[in-house]
Amino acid sequence: MWHERKSEMKRWADSLSVITLAVIVVVALSPWAFSQKPAADLPAGPMQGKATSSCLECHEARIILQQRLSKAAWTKEVDKMVKWGAVVEANDRDALIDYLSVNFGTDQPAYEPPRTSAGKTSGKKQLQ
Amino acid sequence: MRSRRNFLKQMSRAALAVGAAPSLLARALALPQSGSTDTPRIDMPGEDGLIVRSFRFVDLETPVEYFNTWLTPVSHFFVRNHMHEPTELSSDVANSDWRLTVGGEVDKPFALTFSELSKLETHSVVNTLECAGNGRSLQRPQVPGVQWGKGAVGTARFSGPRLRDILLRAGIKPTGKDVMFRGLDEVPGKVPPFVRSIPIEKALDSDTLVATHMNGAPLTKHHGFPARALVPGWIGAASCKWLTEIKVLDSEFVGNFMSPGYRFPNQPVKPGDAVKPEDTHPLTGLSVKSVIAGPLEGTSLKAGKVAVHGAAWAGENNVVKVEVSTDGGASWNPAGLGHDEARYAWRLWTYEWKAKSGDYSILSRATDSEGRTQPATPVWNPSGYLYNAVDQVKIHVA
Repeated sequence: MWHERKSEMKRWADSLSVITLAVIVVVALSPWAFSQKPAADLPAGPMQGKATSSCLECHEARIILQQRLSKAAWTKEVDKMVKWGAVVEANDRDALIDYLSVNFGTDQPAYEPPRTSAGKTSGKKQLQ
Repeated sequence: MRSRRNFLKQMSRAALAVGAAPSLLARALALPQSGSTDTPRIDMPGEDGLIVRSFRFVDLETPVEYFNTWLTPVSHFFVRNHMHEPTELSSDVANSDWRLTVGGEVDKPFALTFSELSKLETHSVVNTLECAGNGRSLQRPQVPGVQWGKGAVGTARFSGPRLRDILLRAGIKPTGKDVMFRGLDEVPGKVPPFVRSIPIEKALDSDTLVATHMNGAPLTKHHGFPARALVPGWIGAASCKWLTEIKVLDSEFVGNFMSPGYRFPNQPVKPGDAVKPEDTHPLTGLSVKSVIAGPLEGTSLKAGKVAVHGAAWAGENNVVKVEVSTDGGASWNPAGLGHDEARYAWRLWTYEWKAKSGDYSILSRATDSEGRTQPATPVWNPSGYLYNAVDQVKIHVA
């Protein structure tokens, strides 16, 4: 019985490998393979949801992703943003500062930004 | 059941593989694009290969390899927005309710339609526009703000009526000391509006414009359509975009973007130290600065003739000298300056170097007509403004 299941699983795995490969090829050759969606996400963690709703109401995640700041500097930033309208529950303030300090501290590797697509509109005169 | 669970597990692995595919394929194909081949791309019409510091609001940086033309094409020109762009602006501005109002400490306040603005005498200024925070990411310790590399700068021919003509038509009262600009950008939350002022002397300078055109074409929305202030030689923040109100004030405008924003310490500061607001002054003209546009950081070249080249600017002053060092600063060689020049515009420069094999640190250093020169180490300040240390790239010659 177990043996039978095992070989069934193997068949699944084999067919999935083929599907996976096919999907990779199709996706990689499609025009959107090199495009990134405009919106970026904040990293996983217990405060991800609250940071997303507090911070990304006004600006996108990359503004945060590119910072490399000490805890003292993050504290000043969070308090400034609260003054400027970011909704942060008093109970969440310290946890939010910790989340930002851990993920975007001075010891983190440099952030690699995306670029706009090259060459599509170069030279065209556009009003908007 | 077990098979089904396995199937789900396999599916999630497949999804992960699909996610990784673009970057793997890009590496394998070595695509002929500027930037690393596996750099993710975002489609933004009219913006060609720029570094995306932020998509919402828009902050785009010009890669240094684009600094090889005296005038920067609009599609390569950096974009710095503090807020969201106006959403209500009609592209048919001449037939819209858009107005430019002129008021405050003046005898005859008035408003101009776009057609009326367009009929005023036009003047052109080739200006190097640089964000005050350009180079912020190179400051240590790091400071908060948009983490610009070296490319929040560009040079364009800006055209439009002189601000002076508009102000004189309104008649400035003797009490008028500063001129405030307000744009139509949309403020999120309780963020203070992006309003700043410049002293009346600079506002009355015959090169300060209400620009409607950039490199001969109407301003694009990212660059302030339909009209922007153009305060030549000064930090980019002085040149308010989506301009809709000009107000003459009896003193400097009081607001976040005049203080504590865009101020510089009066005295040198130890890196990391706090500075009291009363020990600072508002930023005005740009510093003297050069940037190496080629060879690029980390490149490997063949021995022989190598053109070390780039751009140098000095705000309201003229660049008089650019020097290049190929030995980490032990000795300096004069670079040739390009023919194209204008009072507020950068000079392109080139140094022909006979490179022998080895590892090199190439430096560039500009000096201006006031005798200012680029410092060897950055002048640190709490907001990371006016970074202008000697530029440096590390390369290998085979």
